[in-house]
Amino acid sequence: MGNCLKSPNTDDISLLRGSDAGPEVSSEQSANMGPPPPYQESIPIYHPSPNVSRPANQLTEEEQIKIAQRLGLINHLPTGVFDGTSKKAKECCICMEEFLLGDMLRFLPCMHTYHKDCIDDWLMRSFICPSCLEPVDAALLTTYETS
Amino acid sequence: MAHDQSSLLLRKQLRDLNKNPVEGFSAGLIDDDDIFKWEVVIIGPGDTIFEGGVFKAHLTFPKEYPHRPPKMKFVTEMWHPNIGPDGSVCISILHEPGDDKYGYEQASERWLPVHTVETILLSVISMLADPNDESPANVDAAKMWREQPDDFKKKVGRLVRKSQDEL
Repeated sequence: MGNCLKSPNTDDISLLRGSDAGPEVSSEQSANMGPPPPYQESIPIYHPSPNVSRPANQLTEEEQIKIAQRLGLINHLPTGVFDGTSKKAKECCICMEEFLLGDMLRFLPCMHTYHKDCIDDWLMRSFICPSCLEPVDAALLTTYETS
Repeated sequence: MAHDQSSLLLRKQLRDLNKNPVEGFSAGLIDDDDIFKWEVVIIGPGDTIFEGGVFKAHLTFPKEYPHRPPKMKFVTEMWHPNIGPDGSVCISILHEPGDDKYGYEQASERWLPVHTVETILLSVISMLADPNDESPANVDAAKMWREQPDDFKKKVGRLVRKSQDEL
């Protein structure tokens, strides 16, 4: 899963480093506990399995691997900007809002399209397409095999 | 999803349900200032033993809606295998999303972010008509439903009449 390490998302980099660096990280984090910059969430919360929600620094090793893999897979899914040319994709069925010019979109292998923010949050909880229930990882593998 | 987005989505649904009511239930807020707490009234589906009943329930949405499911609890006294003794509704679409390692329930059977108040209530209405006794929330009700269907029917009939009196 080398790709996860190169991911542009800084959250998962710190997550993966945390497993190597051990307790030093937490002391470093508590030293930096001042008011965070407005664009940065303090410590991301992850949902490794139903009814389990934990901050990134309290995940078990197994959960860290699962989440790092998930982040990596999501980053492989194509994104785009809504330009109004697609006749099929008009509305995000998660937030029920119509796509507006310039909205960031994410395309799933099953061809369903959502707002990037809406579907990314969902896929971290459950890796299935909310519209057709197709498991996204299975569909990703099929895409690799055929291409 | 940010809090204001979840409240926007709930407001939109409330507006739509007010404009185009759906047969079988009515929905509103418990307190006009709290969009996350709904009160719904379900009409017992026709041709079932719940016919004629008027059942009140509360839906409590988390701030993370629609990424997480609401909790639903009947306020009216109920007797049903999939409704706990405290009134809480136990159906798979209201279970937290994801795949559990024990494989107890498929991710596809659990909560989906495309569910709305309408789709939830339609599922609950169909649950009333068609109990699932594989994982009962009320073991005694499930046992009675399976082994003494006549007693079950009588008990539900009494609750249906009681629900009408409470109107």
